[in-house]
Amino acid sequence: MTNAGEGRQPFLVLAGVSRHFGATRALDGADLEIAPGEVHALVGENGAGKSTLIKLLSGLHQPGGGAILVDGAAASIAGPLAAEALGFRFIHQELNLVPQFDTVGNAWIGRRHPHRGPFIDRAAMRARVAAVAARIAPDLPLDRPAARLTPGQRQMAEIVRALMTDARLVVMDEPTSSLSEAEAEAERLHAVVRQLSVSGTAVLFISHRLDEVMALADGYTVLRGGRTVGAGRVKDIDRAGLVRLMSGGPASAETLPKAARLAPSGDIALSANIAFGPAGSHAVIEIGAGEIVGLYGLVGAGRSALLKALWGALPVVGTIRLAGRPLAGGPAGRIAQGAVYVPEDRRREGFAGALSIADNLALAHLSDFRRIPRLPLPARGQIHAFARDVGTRLRLVAASLDSSPLTLSGGNQQKLLFGRWLGRPIRLALIDEPTRGVDVGAKAEIHGEIRRIAASGAAVIAATSDIEELMALADRVLVMNGGRIVADLAGAVLTREAVVAAAFGHAPRSHPPQPNRAAAVA
Amino acid sequence: MTLLRRYGTLLALALIVAVFAVASPGAFGTVANLVNITQQMSLLAIVAIGATLVMVVGEFDLSVSAVVSFAGIAAVSLFGAGHGIAAVFALVVIAALAMGTVSGFLVARFAVPSFIATLAFGTVIGGLTFWISDGATLFSGIPPAFRDLGRGTVLGLPVPTLWLIGTAVIAWLLLDATEFGRRLYAIGGNREAARLVGLPVRRDMIIAFALSAGLAALAGLLLAARLGSAHPTGGGGYLLSAYAAVFLGMTAFREGEPSVPGTLVGAAIIAVVSNGLTILGVPSFLQDLMTGAIILAAVLVRQLGRAGD
Repeated sequence: MTNAGEGRQPFLVLAGVSRHFGATRALDGADLEIAPGEVHALVGENGAGKSTLIKLLSGLHQPGGGAILVDGAAASIAGPLAAEALGFRFIHQELNLVPQFDTVGNAWIGRRHPHRGPFIDRAAMRARVAAVAARIAPDLPLDRPAARLTPGQRQMAEIVRALMTDARLVVMDEPTSSLSEAEAEAERLHAVVRQLSVSGTAVLFISHRLDEVMALADGYTVLRGGRTVGAGRVKDIDRAGLVRLMSGGPASAETLPKAARLAPSGDIALSANIAFGPAGSHAVIEIGAGEIVGLYGLVGAGRSALLKALWGALPVVGTIRLAGRPLAGGPAGRIAQGAVYVPEDRRREGFAGALSIADNLALAHLSDFRRIPRLPLPARGQIHAFARDVGTRLRLVAASLDSSPLTLSGGNQQKLLFGRWLGRPIRLALIDEPTRGVDVGAKAEIHGEIRRIAASGAAVIAATSDIEELMALADRVLVMNGGRIVADLAGAVLTREAVVAAAFGHAPRSHPPQPNRAAAVA
Repeated sequence: MTLLRRYGTLLALALIVAVFAVASPGAFGTVANLVNITQQMSLLAIVAIGATLVMVVGEFDLSVSAVVSFAGIAAVSLFGAGHGIAAVFALVVIAALAMGTVSGFLVARFAVPSFIATLAFGTVIGGLTFWISDGATLFSGIPPAFRDLGRGTVLGLPVPTLWLIGTAVIAWLLLDATEFGRRLYAIGGNREAARLVGLPVRRDMIIAFALSAGLAALAGLLLAARLGSAHPTGGGGYLLSAYAAVFLGMTAFREGEPSVPGTLVGAAIIAVVSNGLTILGVPSFLQDLMTGAIILAAVLVRQLGRAGD
């Protein structure tokens, strides 16, 4: 935490701004004050109005009421160019680089390029970018297309782009959500934020990670239901206080206590010994019925690939057995044997935006909803009844089950991916990032659902980058590094430190991998 | 292997040239014939360069062949009405730019899928062309000076080849060395990002469509000049060949992006295959078969190379 911004006059003030979309009040009297050089956290559950507020600052939406004051004068931000002229820069949640352009090319998009005669001057372009990069990310590759940068490098490339001209305010929407928490890249980003602050550039960031908020921010603003319900200095509040403001109630959900559960039965449900994905990836796994195994690792460690391999969506060499029977036949074969999969990327891999919520819920087992058992004609009534049941059980908040899942908030989209598997026996659940970008309330509900699935006797593997979630959810943790399982931690040795150490390639303390459960460190 | 993946299409062109040179000694490989090939590919390549500009922003312009036909018919009709060469050139190109602007506007402003918008608008242009010409081939009233724009040689190079060189150099500099070109690639690479940094996405897309139509009109004018006549469906063959050249070109360089040098390589492959097979006396249906097979092979090699990444 820096002390910048303390006692200084705010240069940016949002006073009672509102913005309605039809009948939906996305913002309904939100206030925000940011001082020069201040690191300010904007927190709130999904749907609290954070993204809308940022869109007002970036000129993508216009406020329906209230005022935006810059240096004390009312400012009208008509579009991205107006925001740019005010010195506002935006690092959006979906990275907005041109994948084919390198760092230099991306940094200059939308700016007047240096010219030599009538043509752009690549050498001058590169020199300017190199000068900016030298300050914040000296080892960032400048000539590599963004498509081939790591997520952390892409983010640095975006920040370099933001700082090409003098910036007064850099807005970051969930800057570390695509980075592993333990990863050096997240720490690197924090260092850059502090550096910006010291040099007088204010940083406004949205985060669902309260640890990050407490560690990084000077000031905070909490939004709930489109209103500012609290604001102040971070040093004057604690996590529980923030959670109370965000949820409007006592902090019960956020601390995620490990639920008291019956011990797993000890019967092996899933056993696998497979080579998969990138060369050298190999895993030996045994998971008991009713056990929740957390899968942790840095970005690129092979968590998602392992889950996809178990799901039959990636080529696999080796054997996978579920309750003693070989798992085969790709995803359809897995489903038939009682396995389910929740992908990491909701929009790309999770659902079909062109189908309704109800149809998406029924998608994975359409053959269960037939008018006549042998005829592949979907029974709409049954599909709707199923969707209503699932919606009730998961407390799905949707305008209509006939609308597109794209209209749902992130948390409700995630519930939909769980909901499609309900109502049939589950023997194996493969879950990739159960709650990324999901608000605190929905997170607790999803964790409850995962525990119910395990309690019904299923083996559960949940991959997550969120170490709090890992510690709260998992009975046992497998840590991956370089496509291999390098640690198998449970009981007393299952500590944050051990998990992080293993993920970074250090041997886990006092607990060598068991030959049967984890592949040897290469 | 990396070399093959990156320059496979160029190597294929070299291989095809070598095979024809060996198969027909004294005919294919002569300087005169190679120069002739540059002339044969010139109009196709000009149309394909226009298609490349639209492809860079991630869209299709399926109206190019209709514009080629329109330009020829419009030019000969205007000559018949007594207009001079400069006026005819200007009028036809301006009309084509306007047509491209309409296509681009439909796509950029109303988000009509370009496949559909340009297919439909191309059909409209085709109907207009038939209307003007009454469905007939037009050839009267073409001044000899106009014909010289599409035939003969200057400094030993065929005139159409010179048009192609000029077009290619300008388009290549435009795409690779100007801010406008960077913007087009940015729009094609990530349209949302381009919009968020305030690029004039709609305007630039419209300009790309206008330039595509303008180049198609240039090709149509040169075609009429070379043939000394214009037929209302005279440009019909250019659409698929032009896109074949663009797609072949995308396999030739740079991570699969459309580019002017790539499109030139693609057009050259198509022209070389056609020329070489003609010299060998291969019937034309077999030429089509071979050309199609080569395009499929190039794209397939590319995909297999990607899968290995």
